[in-house]
Amino acid sequence: MCPEPVKKLIRIAIPLAFWLGVWQLAAMAVDLELMLPTPARVLTSLLTMAGTDTFWLSALFTLVRVFLGLLLGTALGVLLAFLTRFASWANLLLSPAIRVIRATPVVSFILLVYLWVTRENIPGVIAAMMVLPVVWSSVSGGLSSVDSQLLELARAYRFSRWKTLCLIYLPSVRPHFISGFLTAFGLAWKSGVAAEVLCPPKLAIGSRIQQARMALETADLFAWTLVIIVLSLSLEALLRHLLKAGEVRV
Amino acid sequence: MTLELQDLCLSYGEKQVLDHFSLELVCDGLTALTGPSGCGKTTLMRVIGGLEQPAAGHLSGVAPERTAFLFQENRLLPWRTVEQHILDVLPRDRRGECARYLALAELTGEERTCPAALSGGMARRLALARCIALGGDLLLLDEPFTGVDGERAQRLLRRLREQGTPVLLVSHEPEVLSACDRVYAFNGPPLTLLP
Repeated sequence: MCPEPVKKLIRIAIPLAFWLGVWQLAAMAVDLELMLPTPARVLTSLLTMAGTDTFWLSALFTLVRVFLGLLLGTALGVLLAFLTRFASWANLLLSPAIRVIRATPVVSFILLVYLWVTRENIPGVIAAMMVLPVVWSSVSGGLSSVDSQLLELARAYRFSRWKTLCLIYLPSVRPHFISGFLTAFGLAWKSGVAAEVLCPPKLAIGSRIQQARMALETADLFAWTLVIIVLSLSLEALLRHLLKAGEVRV
Repeated sequence: MTLELQDLCLSYGEKQVLDHFSLELVCDGLTALTGPSGCGKTTLMRVIGGLEQPAAGHLSGVAPERTAFLFQENRLLPWRTVEQHILDVLPRDRRGECARYLALAELTGEERTCPAALSGGMARRLALARCIALGGDLLLLDEPFTGVDGERAQRLLRRLREQGTPVLLVSHEPEVLSACDRVYAFNGPPLTLLP
């Protein structure tokens, strides 16, 4: 019997080794670095880039933009979910608009927003616009599934509105919010970088990807994609951990 | 305390539960309402507690906002501990009384337990303790001893009597009914007082 950490390592290492092997074989079969560089070549490219300030600054600025967009979209999504749940006029006016935002392709938004805001702010705005409907939808779902018996209890036991919000609404909505927030995080990340590629700011991962594409530096393109994947997965894991820790404390 | 119920009418869809129902309900000490399930006892309690508005009729003798209602279901908050359930209904200046209500319901030592870890009887006692802690001029208890063993139910009844607030409860259990000062038996629907 293997101990649990070893099992966990095996669960990660075997698929990783398998897919790296597939990649290596495919690269050898293609035998053209411009089309498909080998994993070793991509790693070399990544290590070279990591030695420059531009690499770290680009990653940092992208992170900041995506996080600001995520926070803005989340705050607006939660606010609008409460508004559309409790004010019928807001529900009538805003719900269809939010659904339209959700159905609109991200590329259309990127090109439209390009007309209205500066290049530096586009990724944040786009990330916020992608996050808003997801958070709104999950929090709205949570609000409409609050146990009506508990709400009747709150009325019968003369809870103030604030107390009803803190003791009944927020804990009931919490799991819905967490699942929506984690989905939204992935979306924010992808749409933010996509916006950076289409409207490249000075320092951004998306701009570096665009640059690599123009220079036909496929290994760099792969290396930046790898950076995005690693950042996205590790930040999602960190968020999950933080949200779980918060849940235990509450 | 005497509640005057005059000409109360209330229906759920086609089902007329209170049909010009009138009664003078004396509620001193422990008073019980009994009768077959679905006859309208809970509806009557909900009207007295102000949780249902009758289509017609008049109720006097107690202000609904001065009653404390124990629902048939426990309605505990899964994310609050036993102690927090009591503190949630106590005003700031009465928070020190929490331990007394927990002791009354024999829940001392369970302060930090969450509802999911309580047995059915313990959860019922917590719901009862919370209702008593809320307090008021009249306690309205709908089947307060569901899942509570007979001996403990008798002890709780004794403590309910000692704490002084009049109690109006719904029960089917003969041991509970025999411990009450007054029992009103009903039939229905529509709710009718049996002689």
